[in-house]
Amino acid sequence: MKILSVDDSKTIRMIVGRSLKNYDCVMCEAANGEEGLAVAASEMPDLIILDITMPVMDGVTMLTKLREDPALKSIPVVMLTAESGRENVAHIARLGVRDYLVKPFKEEQLIEKIGRIVPLVQKAAA
Amino acid sequence: MSQDLVGEDFAKQFGLDAVPEGVRRVTELVASQNASTEEIAKIISQDKELTARVLRAANPRAEDECDYTITTVDAAVMRSGIGGAILVAMSGPLIRAIGKTFETMLARPIESVPARSLAAFTEEHIAAEVAFAGKAVGSVQIRLEKPTARLFGAAMVGLAPEDFENEDELTDVLGELANIIVGNFKSNLCDAGLTCKLSPPVIAKTNDSKLRSQEGGLAERIGFVSGDVHFFVDVCVNPWSQA
Repeated sequence: MKILSVDDSKTIRMIVGRSLKNYDCVMCEAANGEEGLAVAASEMPDLIILDITMPVMDGVTMLTKLREDPALKSIPVVMLTAESGRENVAHIARLGVRDYLVKPFKEEQLIEKIGRIVPLVQKAAA
Repeated sequence: MSQDLVGEDFAKQFGLDAVPEGVRRVTELVASQNASTEEIAKIISQDKELTARVLRAANPRAEDECDYTITTVDAAVMRSGIGGAILVAMSGPLIRAIGKTFETMLARPIESVPARSLAAFTEEHIAAEVAFAGKAVGSVQIRLEKPTARLFGAAMVGLAPEDFENEDELTDVLGELANIIVGNFKSNLCDAGLTCKLSPPVIAKTNDSKLRSQEGGLAERIGFVSGDVHFFVDVCVNPWSQA
Protein backbone atom coordinates (compact mmCIF):
# COMPACT_ATOMS: atom_id res chain seq x y z
CA MET A 1 0.00 0.00 0.00
CA LYS A 2 1.39 3.38 -1.03
CA ILE A 3 0.00 6.62 0.41
CA LEU A 4 0.91 10.14 -0.75
CA SER A 5 0.59 13.04 1.71
CA VAL A 6 0.46 16.46 0.04
CA ASP A 7 0.73 19.31 2.54
CA ASP A 8 2.98 22.36 2.77
CA SER A 9 3.39 21.71 6.49
CA LYS A 10 6.14 19.26 7.35
CA THR A 11 4.43 18.87 10.74
CA ILE A 12 1.22 17.59 9.15
CA ARG A 13 3.10 15.25 6.80
CA MET A 14 4.95 13.93 9.85
CA ILE A 15 1.69 13.43 11.80
CA VAL A 16 0.14 11.59 8.83
CA GLY A 17 3.24 9.37 8.62
CA ARG A 18 3.13 8.76 12.37
CA SER A 19 -0.56 7.81 12.18
CA LEU A 20 0.27 5.11 9.64
CA LYS A 21 3.53 3.85 11.13
CA ASN A 22 1.94 0.70 12.53
CA TYR A 23 0.44 -0.22 9.18
CA ASP A 24 2.06 -1.95 6.26
CA CYS A 25 2.31 1.01 3.91
CA VAL A 26 4.89 3.16 2.17
CA MET A 27 4.60 6.92 2.62
CA CYS A 28 5.40 9.45 -0.11
CA GLU A 29 5.37 13.21 0.46
CA ALA A 30 4.93 16.43 -1.48
CA ALA A 31 4.88 20.04 -0.23
CA ASN A 32 2.51 21.51 -2.84
CA GLY A 33 0.14 20.54 -5.65
CA GLU A 34 2.76 20.72 -8.39
CA GLU A 35 5.09 18.38 -6.51
CA GLY A 36 2.06 16.26 -5.62
CA LEU A 37 1.15 15.69 -9.28
CA ALA A 38 4.75 14.77 -10.11
CA VAL A 39 5.01 12.31 -7.20
CA ALA A 40 1.57 10.86 -8.01
CA ALA A 41 2.67 10.24 -11.63
CA SER A 42 5.97 8.62 -10.63
CA GLU A 43 4.81 6.63 -7.60
CA MET A 44 1.20 5.82 -8.55
CA PRO A 45 -0.04 5.82 -4.92
CA ASP A 46 -3.13 3.88 -3.82
CA LEU A 47 -4.44 6.96 -1.98
CA ILE A 48 -3.68 10.68 -1.77
CA ILE A 49 -4.19 12.77 1.39
CA LEU A 50 -4.48 16.36 0.19
CA ASP A 51 -4.39 19.80 1.83
CA ILE A 52 -6.02 22.82 0.15
CA THR A 53 -4.09 25.99 1.02
CA MET A 54 -0.55 25.53 -0.27
CA PRO A 55 1.94 27.70 -2.14
CA VAL A 56 2.86 27.13 -5.83
CA MET A 57 -0.26 25.04 -6.56
CA ASP A 58 -3.17 24.64 -4.16
CA GLY A 59 -5.02 21.41 -3.47
CA VAL A 60 -8.11 22.30 -5.50
CA THR A 61 -6.00 22.90 -8.62
CA MET A 62 -4.09 19.68 -8.03
CA LEU A 63 -7.34 17.75 -7.62
CA THR A 64 -8.74 19.26 -10.82
CA LYS A 65 -5.61 18.32 -12.79
CA LEU A 66 -5.57 14.85 -11.22
CA ARG A 67 -9.12 14.20 -12.37
CA GLU A 68 -8.28 15.39 -15.90
CA ASP A 69 -5.34 12.98 -16.20
CA PRO A 70 -6.44 9.55 -17.51
CA ALA A 71 -3.55 7.82 -15.74
CA LEU A 72 -4.22 9.43 -12.34
CA LYS A 73 -7.92 10.18 -12.24
CA SER A 74 -8.94 6.98 -10.45
CA ILE A 75 -6.62 7.50 -7.45
CA PRO A 76 -8.87 8.08 -4.42
CA VAL A 77 -8.33 11.36 -2.58
CA VAL A 78 -9.06 12.28 1.05
CA MET A 79 -8.98 16.02 1.77
CA LEU A 80 -7.22 16.99 5.02
CA THR A 81 -7.67 20.71 5.52
CA ALA A 82 -8.76 23.49 7.88
CA GLU A 83 -11.17 24.65 5.16
CA SER A 84 -14.74 23.74 6.11
CA GLY A 85 -16.74 26.52 4.42
CA ARG A 86 -19.75 24.74 2.96
CA GLU A 87 -19.48 26.18 -0.56
CA ASN A 88 -15.87 25.11 -0.81
CA VAL A 89 -16.67 21.66 0.58
CA ALA A 90 -19.40 21.25 -2.06
CA HIS A 91 -17.12 22.46 -4.86
CA ILE A 92 -14.36 20.06 -3.84
CA ALA A 93 -16.78 17.15 -3.36
CA ARG A 94 -18.07 17.65 -6.89
CA LEU A 95 -14.52 17.46 -8.25
CA GLY A 96 -14.41 13.96 -6.81
CA VAL A 97 -13.05 13.13 -3.36
CA ARG A 98 -13.69 9.99 -1.37
CA ASP A 99 -13.70 11.69 2.02
CA TYR A 100 -13.00 14.96 3.82
CA LEU A 101 -11.38 15.52 7.20
CA VAL A 102 -11.19 18.94 8.83
CA LYS A 103 -8.14 19.97 10.88
CA PRO A 104 -7.75 19.77 13.83
CA PHE A 105 -8.05 16.00 13.62
CA LYS A 106 -7.28 12.94 15.71
CA GLU A 107 -4.97 10.34 14.21
CA GLU A 108 -7.66 7.68 14.78
CA GLN A 109 -10.09 9.67 12.63
CA LEU A 110 -7.61 9.74 9.78
CA ILE A 111 -6.94 6.00 10.07
CA GLU A 112 -10.67 5.28 10.11
CA LYS A 113 -11.27 7.31 6.95
CA ILE A 114 -8.28 5.80 5.12
CA GLY A 115 -9.27 2.29 6.23
CA ARG A 116 -12.69 2.70 4.63
CA ILE A 117 -11.07 3.29 1.24
CA VAL A 118 -7.98 1.07 1.13
CA PRO A 119 -7.17 -2.06 3.14
CA LEU A 120 -4.88 -1.15 6.04
CA VAL A 121 -2.94 -4.11 7.37
CA GLN A 122 -1.15 -3.82 10.69
CA LYS A 123 2.56 -4.56 10.62
CA ALA A 124 3.54 -7.83 12.20
CA ALA A 125 5.10 -7.38 15.67
CA ALA A 126 8.90 -7.50 15.49
CA MET B 1 -21.95 12.97 -7.01
CA SER B 2 -25.27 14.70 -7.47
CA GLN B 3 -25.20 18.33 -8.56
CA ASP B 4 -28.35 18.84 -6.45
CA LEU B 5 -26.49 18.37 -3.18
CA VAL B 6 -25.48 21.53 -1.32
CA GLY B 7 -22.56 22.17 1.03
CA GLU B 8 -24.47 21.10 4.12
CA ASP B 9 -25.36 17.74 2.49
CA PHE B 10 -21.72 17.04 1.69
CA ALA B 11 -20.71 18.20 5.20
CA LYS B 12 -23.12 15.62 6.67
CA GLN B 13 -21.88 12.95 4.27
CA PHE B 14 -18.28 13.56 5.39
CA GLY B 15 -19.24 13.85 9.08
CA LEU B 16 -18.16 17.49 9.43
CA ASP B 17 -19.23 19.45 12.50
CA ALA B 18 -22.31 21.65 12.10
CA VAL B 19 -21.83 25.40 12.45
CA PRO B 20 -23.37 26.48 15.81
CA GLU B 21 -26.71 28.21 15.17
CA GLY B 22 -25.90 31.32 17.24
CA VAL B 23 -22.59 31.81 15.46
CA ARG B 24 -24.20 31.40 12.04
CA ARG B 25 -26.96 33.89 12.80
CA VAL B 26 -24.67 36.58 14.23
CA THR B 27 -22.18 36.26 11.38
CA GLU B 28 -24.96 36.38 8.79
CA LEU B 29 -26.33 39.48 10.45
CA VAL B 30 -22.90 41.08 10.24
CA ALA B 31 -22.61 40.08 6.59
CA SER B 32 -25.99 41.67 5.83
CA GLN B 33 -24.35 45.04 6.69
CA ASN B 34 -27.54 46.57 8.07
CA ALA B 35 -27.73 45.06 11.55
CA SER B 36 -29.44 47.11 14.25
CA THR B 37 -28.53 47.16 17.94
CA GLU B 38 -31.85 45.46 18.76
CA GLU B 39 -31.35 42.63 16.26
CA ILE B 40 -27.81 41.96 17.48
CA ALA B 41 -28.94 42.01 21.13
CA LYS B 42 -31.85 39.66 20.39
CA ILE B 43 -29.63 37.05 18.75
CA ILE B 44 -26.96 37.32 21.43
CA SER B 45 -29.61 36.92 24.18
CA GLN B 46 -30.59 33.55 22.70
CA ASP B 47 -27.08 32.17 23.12
CA LYS B 48 -25.87 31.60 26.68
CA GLU B 49 -22.16 31.70 25.85
CA LEU B 50 -22.41 34.83 23.70
CA THR B 51 -24.48 36.54 26.41
CA ALA B 52 -21.81 35.81 29.03
CA ARG B 53 -19.02 37.11 26.77
CA VAL B 54 -20.83 40.31 25.79
CA LEU B 55 -21.68 41.08 29.42
CA ARG B 56 -18.11 40.42 30.49
CA ALA B 57 -16.81 42.74 27.76
CA ALA B 58 -19.25 45.48 28.79
CA ASN B 59 -18.02 45.31 32.40
CA PRO B 60 -14.25 45.46 31.92
CA ARG B 61 -13.42 46.38 35.52
CA ALA B 62 -15.62 43.78 37.19
CA GLU B 63 -13.81 40.94 38.97
CA ASP B 64 -16.84 38.69 38.64
CA GLU B 65 -20.55 38.81 37.75
CA CYS B 66 -21.50 40.26 41.16
CA ASP B 67 -19.60 43.43 40.23
CA TYR B 68 -21.40 43.95 36.91
CA THR B 69 -23.02 47.39 36.55
CA ILE B 70 -24.34 46.50 33.10
CA THR B 71 -26.52 43.45 33.48
CA THR B 72 -28.59 43.17 30.30
CA VAL B 73 -27.52 42.32 26.76
CA ASP B 74 -29.36 45.37 25.39
CA ALA B 75 -27.40 47.70 27.67
CA ALA B 76 -24.16 45.84 26.95
CA VAL B 77 -24.63 46.18 23.18
CA MET B 78 -25.48 49.87 23.61
CA ARG B 79 -22.29 50.33 25.62
CA SER B 80 -19.97 48.31 23.36
CA GLY B 81 -21.55 49.59 20.17
CA ILE B 82 -22.63 47.25 17.39
CA GLY B 83 -19.03 46.78 16.29
CA GLY B 84 -17.83 45.78 19.75
CA ALA B 85 -20.70 43.35 20.27
CA ILE B 86 -20.13 41.82 16.86
CA LEU B 87 -16.43 41.34 17.53
CA VAL B 88 -17.15 39.65 20.84
CA ALA B 89 -19.74 37.44 19.14
CA MET B 90 -17.44 36.56 16.24
CA SER B 91 -14.53 35.72 18.48
CA GLY B 92 -16.68 33.06 20.20
CA PRO B 93 -16.14 30.53 17.40
CA LEU B 94 -12.47 31.47 17.27
CA ILE B 95 -12.09 30.63 20.97
CA ARG B 96 -13.84 27.31 20.38
CA ALA B 97 -11.59 26.57 17.40
CA ILE B 98 -8.48 27.33 19.48
CA GLY B 99 -9.70 25.14 22.35
CA LYS B 100 -10.49 22.25 19.99
CA THR B 101 -7.14 22.58 18.20
CA PHE B 102 -5.14 22.47 21.44
CA GLU B 103 -7.14 19.58 22.83
CA THR B 104 -7.07 17.53 19.61
CA MET B 105 -3.60 18.18 18.21
CA LEU B 106 -1.61 18.97 21.39
CA ALA B 107 -3.60 17.05 24.03
CA ARG B 108 -3.47 20.26 26.12
CA PRO B 109 -6.68 21.70 27.51
CA ILE B 110 -6.72 25.50 27.56
CA GLU B 111 -8.96 28.09 29.17
CA SER B 112 -9.89 31.47 27.75
CA VAL B 113 -9.55 34.35 30.24
CA PRO B 114 -9.69 38.14 29.95
CA ALA B 115 -6.38 39.32 28.51
CA ARG B 116 -6.02 42.01 31.16
CA SER B 117 -5.89 39.34 33.87
CA LEU B 118 -2.60 38.00 32.45
CA ALA B 119 0.89 39.46 32.51
CA ALA B 120 1.61 41.27 29.24
CA PHE B 121 4.72 40.29 27.26
CA THR B 122 7.24 43.07 27.76
CA GLU B 123 10.23 41.22 26.29
CA GLU B 124 10.80 39.62 22.91
CA HIS B 125 8.16 37.05 22.05
CA ILE B 126 6.85 35.22 18.98
CA ALA B 127 3.88 36.34 16.89
CA ALA B 128 2.36 33.80 14.48
CA GLU B 129 0.00 35.61 12.13
CA VAL B 130 -2.38 34.57 9.39
CA ALA B 131 -4.21 37.30 7.48
CA PHE B 132 -7.39 36.98 5.44
CA ALA B 133 -8.74 39.19 2.69
CA GLY B 134 -11.91 39.37 0.65
CA LYS B 135 -15.33 40.57 1.74
CA ALA B 136 -13.93 40.51 5.27
CA VAL B 137 -10.37 41.69 5.91
CA GLY B 138 -8.27 41.10 8.99
CA SER B 139 -5.83 38.84 10.74
CA VAL B 140 -5.37 36.58 13.72
CA GLN B 141 -2.11 36.65 15.67
CA ILE B 142 -1.02 34.11 18.25
CA ARG B 143 1.47 35.72 20.67
CA LEU B 144 3.53 33.51 22.91
CA GLU B 145 6.89 33.41 24.66
CA LYS B 146 9.54 31.18 23.11
CA PRO B 147 9.58 28.50 25.86
CA THR B 148 5.79 28.27 25.53
CA ALA B 149 6.10 27.98 21.75
CA ARG B 150 8.61 25.16 22.17
CA LEU B 151 6.35 23.42 24.70
CA PHE B 152 3.38 23.58 22.29
CA GLY B 153 5.50 22.62 19.27
CA ALA B 154 6.90 19.59 21.05
CA ALA B 155 3.38 18.52 22.11
CA MET B 156 2.15 18.76 18.53
CA VAL B 157 4.89 16.55 17.09
CA GLY B 158 5.00 14.22 20.09
CA LEU B 159 8.47 15.10 21.42
CA ALA B 160 9.80 16.21 24.80
CA PRO B 161 10.32 20.03 24.87
CA GLU B 162 14.07 19.59 25.41
CA ASP B 163 14.24 17.51 22.20
CA PHE B 164 12.43 20.12 20.14
CA GLU B 165 15.03 22.74 19.31
CA ASN B 166 15.04 23.06 15.54
CA GLU B 167 13.97 26.63 14.61
CA ASP B 168 12.58 25.61 11.20
CA GLU B 169 10.40 22.93 12.78
CA LEU B 170 9.18 25.40 15.40
CA THR B 171 8.27 27.86 12.65
CA ASP B 172 6.44 25.12 10.72
CA VAL B 173 4.47 23.97 13.78
CA LEU B 174 3.44 27.51 14.74
CA GLY B 175 2.48 28.27 11.15
CA GLU B 176 0.31 25.17 10.91
CA LEU B 177 -1.26 25.87 14.31
CA ALA B 178 -2.16 29.38 13.13
CA ASN B 179 -3.45 28.02 9.81
CA ILE B 180 -5.75 25.51 11.48
CA ILE B 181 -7.17 28.07 13.90
CA VAL B 182 -7.66 30.84 11.35
CA GLY B 183 -8.90 28.36 8.73
CA ASN B 184 -11.82 27.47 11.00
CA PHE B 185 -12.56 31.16 11.68
CA LYS B 186 -12.39 31.97 7.96
CA SER B 187 -14.77 29.09 7.12
CA ASN B 188 -17.36 30.62 9.46
CA LEU B 189 -16.95 33.98 7.72
CA CYS B 190 -17.34 32.32 4.30
CA ASP B 191 -20.45 30.42 5.41
CA ALA B 192 -22.03 33.77 6.33
CA GLY B 193 -21.29 35.20 2.89
CA LEU B 194 -18.10 37.03 3.89
CA THR B 195 -15.95 35.10 1.44
CA CYS B 196 -12.23 35.59 1.97
CA LYS B 197 -8.91 33.87 1.40
CA LEU B 198 -6.04 33.19 3.77
CA SER B 199 -2.47 34.37 3.36
CA PRO B 200 0.44 32.08 4.25
CA PRO B 201 1.40 32.27 7.94
CA VAL B 202 4.09 34.73 9.01
CA ILE B 203 6.12 33.87 12.10
CA ALA B 204 8.15 36.71 13.61
CA LYS B 205 9.99 37.64 16.78
CA THR B 206 8.81 40.97 18.17
CA ASN B 207 9.08 43.30 21.16
CA ASP B 208 5.93 45.14 20.16
CA SER B 209 2.96 43.76 22.05
CA LYS B 210 0.51 46.48 21.07
CA LEU B 211 -2.90 45.33 19.84
CA ARG B 212 -3.21 46.42 16.22
CA SER B 213 -6.54 47.15 14.62
CA GLN B 214 -7.65 46.84 11.02
CA GLU B 215 -8.49 50.19 9.45
CA GLY B 216 -12.21 50.77 9.85
CA GLY B 217 -12.51 47.50 11.76
CA LEU B 218 -12.40 46.04 15.23
CA ALA B 219 -9.77 44.39 17.38
CA GLU B 220 -9.80 42.20 20.47
CA ARG B 221 -7.11 40.47 22.51
CA ILE B 222 -8.09 37.18 24.13
CA GLY B 223 -6.01 35.55 26.85
CA PHE B 224 -5.49 31.80 27.23
CA VAL B 225 -4.06 29.75 30.07
CA SER B 226 -2.72 26.23 29.71
CA GLY B 227 -1.23 24.76 32.87
CA ASP B 228 1.33 27.28 34.11
CA VAL B 229 1.83 29.08 30.78
CA HIS B 230 -0.25 31.69 29.03
CA PHE B 231 -0.55 33.22 25.58
CA PHE B 232 -2.65 35.75 23.72
CA VAL B 233 -4.64 35.72 20.52
CA ASP B 234 -5.27 39.05 18.79
CA VAL B 235 -8.10 39.16 16.30
CA CYS B 236 -8.72 42.15 14.11
CA VAL B 237 -11.40 42.12 11.48
CA ASN B 238 -13.22 44.53 9.23
CA PRO B 239 -16.38 42.71 8.18
CA TRP B 240 -17.53 45.72 6.21
CA SER B 241 -14.46 46.15 4.01
CA GLN B 242 -16.60 46.14 0.87
CA ALA B 243 -19.60 47.95 2.34
